[in-house]
Amino acid sequence: MSRLRAGSSPATALSLLAVAALTLSACSGGSTSGSAGGGKTLVIDTSFNLKTADPGREFEPTGQIVDKALYQTLLTFKGGDVTKPVPELATYEQSTDGKTLTLKLKAGAKFSDGSAVTADDVVFSLNRVIGLKGNPSFLLDGVSVTKTDATTITLTSKKANPALPFILPNPALGILNSKTVKANGGAATAADKAETYLNAHSAGSGPYTLTSFNTNTQVVLEKNPKYTGSTKATYDKIVIRNVQAPTQKLNVQRGDSQIALDLTGDQVQGLTGGLKVLSGTSSDVVFLLLNQDKKISTTTSNAKFAEAVRKGVDYAGLLTLTGKGSAQAAGVIPSTFLGALPASQATSRDLAGAKAALAASGIKNPSVTLGYPSDLTVDGLSLQTIAERLQAQLKEVGITVNLAPAPTTTELDKYRNGKEEAGLWYWGPDYPDPSDYLVFLPGNLVGLRAGWKAGADPELTAQGDKAATTIGDDARKALYEQIQTKLNASGPFVPLFQPSHYTVTAASVTGVTYNPVWTLDVAAVGTK
Amino acid sequence: MSQPSAPSRANKGGAGRLRERVAAARQRHPFASFLTRRAGTAVLLMLGVTLVTFVLTNLVPGDPAAAALGQRAVEDPAIVAQFRQHYGLDKPLPLQYVTYLGNLLQGDLGESQQSHQAVLTDLRAAVPATIELAGTAIVLSLVIGVAFGVVAALRQDRLTDQVLRVLSLLGVSVPTFWLALLAFYVFFYRLGIAPGSGRLDPGMTAPPDVTGLYTVDAALAGQWPVFWNAVRHLMLPALVLTAYTVGLLTRFTRSAVLEVLGQDYVRAARAKGLPGRTVLTQYVLRAALVPVITVAGLAFGALLSGTVLVESIFAWPGLGAYAYRSATTLDLPAVMGVGLVVGVIYLLVNLAVDVLYGVIDPRVRVS
Repeated sequence: MSRLRAGSSPATALSLLAVAALTLSACSGGSTSGSAGGGKTLVIDTSFNLKTADPGREFEPTGQIVDKALYQTLLTFKGGDVTKPVPELATYEQSTDGKTLTLKLKAGAKFSDGSAVTADDVVFSLNRVIGLKGNPSFLLDGVSVTKTDATTITLTSKKANPALPFILPNPALGILNSKTVKANGGAATAADKAETYLNAHSAGSGPYTLTSFNTNTQVVLEKNPKYTGSTKATYDKIVIRNVQAPTQKLNVQRGDSQIALDLTGDQVQGLTGGLKVLSGTSSDVVFLLLNQDKKISTTTSNAKFAEAVRKGVDYAGLLTLTGKGSAQAAGVIPSTFLGALPASQATSRDLAGAKAALAASGIKNPSVTLGYPSDLTVDGLSLQTIAERLQAQLKEVGITVNLAPAPTTTELDKYRNGKEEAGLWYWGPDYPDPSDYLVFLPGNLVGLRAGWKAGADPELTAQGDKAATTIGDDARKALYEQIQTKLNASGPFVPLFQPSHYTVTAASVTGVTYNPVWTLDVAAVGTK
Repeated sequence: MSQPSAPSRANKGGAGRLRERVAAARQRHPFASFLTRRAGTAVLLMLGVTLVTFVLTNLVPGDPAAAALGQRAVEDPAIVAQFRQHYGLDKPLPLQYVTYLGNLLQGDLGESQQSHQAVLTDLRAAVPATIELAGTAIVLSLVIGVAFGVVAALRQDRLTDQVLRVLSLLGVSVPTFWLALLAFYVFFYRLGIAPGSGRLDPGMTAPPDVTGLYTVDAALAGQWPVFWNAVRHLMLPALVLTAYTVGLLTRFTRSAVLEVLGQDYVRAARAKGLPGRTVLTQYVLRAALVPVITVAGLAFGALLSGTVLVESIFAWPGLGAYAYRSATTLDLPAVMGVGLVVGVIYLLVNLAVDVLYGVIDPRVRVS
């Protein structure tokens, strides 16, 4: 064996290969980032929810970040304040009946190819969103777009549409260079073929242009030298990378990225290295649904049982799970929107009251099945944890909750078809206006998911119809508050909480503001 | 292989003559004949893969339209109808399958419902990333695993053997996702010797696309800074992926080498005074490698499934990440595309293993 052992020397040398392989990565360059803060490249890590860069087709969170940088909209919001639309490409005036919105284009705006933004571009872009029948088409449901003169556009709605000024800032309604888009197969109908072009090039007047786009990897933007807007971009290049949350944390700590968008409350604990943690309340509202269809459940459709659940949930206890910055949802409308109920009107736990209501319901030892998407996280928070806590809390009332988690794609079908006995879901705003929450009323989108058919509560329906067409902030606020108070008293929904939203940035980064519509305006991000 | 027919019977008709000719050709070109049979089996297997993937994906209770469209758009019947018509989901299932096969024959894998582009385009971007990662990992695994196994066998029951045994046990038992997170934390965050996530640093532009393998493309273009950057990004995830396969190969190589070491012909070779190195490489390793190659083929499968987790942690835009996203969103054309690619990879790996048997062991060639 001795001779064979001598022969093992090359094998020993080979065994060092593992070490050599690793040191190879160490010895060939010291920099961990080609883009440390203070440079002209900004690296943003986020977990992608991205399908397209075409404004007429996109309606996903990452797509909103990208298109906000590439395209200007007619109106916009300043920073994170979504209660007041302000002019971007145009100023606006709404008629007293709420059916007509007149937009006057501001002079001087230019697309990235140097041509001027015209009323024709606006008409084409908005009609394209309607005609494509894509994800954002509903934003302009029942709206017709006409050019009145070279700088004036009129949006006419069939019914009063007070929400329209709050809808127009959506990046999906970004204004495209109609000549360029048409030359690349664009049309304002479903026959449009411009998506491929718009996923490789941008055709907008925004502060950035598109350099590269991949729905799985990263999106690279470059500063638009022709940009004429008021927000002056600081960074020459923006790289938005698809990175999962645990890796985002290490990347931003190490300086490999400057902004991490998806860290949870647990992950931001103990962050070091002079990082800034911006926390705020998310506009997503997590709620419990109790089906009112007697064919689905005679338990959850019992009004006294619903009352027992409402009084039995320990809302404050849930907030210990949801972390700093989260808040109890007083109603279905999130706290930062017009018409939100004040925190003082939020339901609080009343265990004795819950037990009394349960006794009054006449149901002995009730048992309900709670369906929820097991693989879905809301602002990084797993619904599984919430479901387990609710199960324990309602046990104290005497209600047995059977957890029935399923993958989102499966559970979504049951939820949409109103087949869940009880459900745990969330509603993220489509646009920051209380009218988006009329979906919770009987016969409407989410109402039907709770088996709450049209005509189930005529008074509430009448209030909803009135709120949808009333003009004037004060009157609208009062109406939406009344609707929610009634919903809280007798509706099939139990609003639980709004999760917290964290943005972690390098110390050198400034100007980061969370906006519920587009999350982050990358052009507003600066450096010290 | 079937035996040639008897001449008396073969002469009776044209079919018999044809059989005879085929048999003769097989004898003249056994390798070509082997490949032909393999190609035939491959086509049937791929057909099976498409059928199983199609049936399974359609059995999942869920609506692709709900998964792909927004919460508002999915409530608009006109939008849903347009979506179903665009993706052919309005047709009966058997017709959908036949249409898919027809398109497949023309090289059209359909359009992804998530990325809105041709599945082939998506795969063209994702597959090279995974090939580069998994290929590097399997090469590293073979080199390190075989070396460790040989060393352990030669130092049987000594300290080196004990240490390697513990290491290989750790390698096969530690969960890949945990190891990936730990490695990223230690080598990137703590020590700063590994680069961050992704295939290149954020400021770096990818090399001109030839093969899709960044290392190869950068070398072809002479972009050496990009080449080194790609190599640096590749090393840590590849090493993490090797942990399981190195553990497996070390254990198998060790026992195979030990078994061969006890054979008479090895003793004879030593007795006639051959140098230790020659005995090891020509006599011991050659015989011991046959079972190791089998295991390596199987290990490659484990490695591919490991890429799903490793790619997620290292933000590696490969097939694993694409497969996960496609499956969770019921993106049928994309899932079918991934199934086909994985099927092809398995077939190629099995073919490579069979060919390698022949290279290593002459007895296989004879049979």
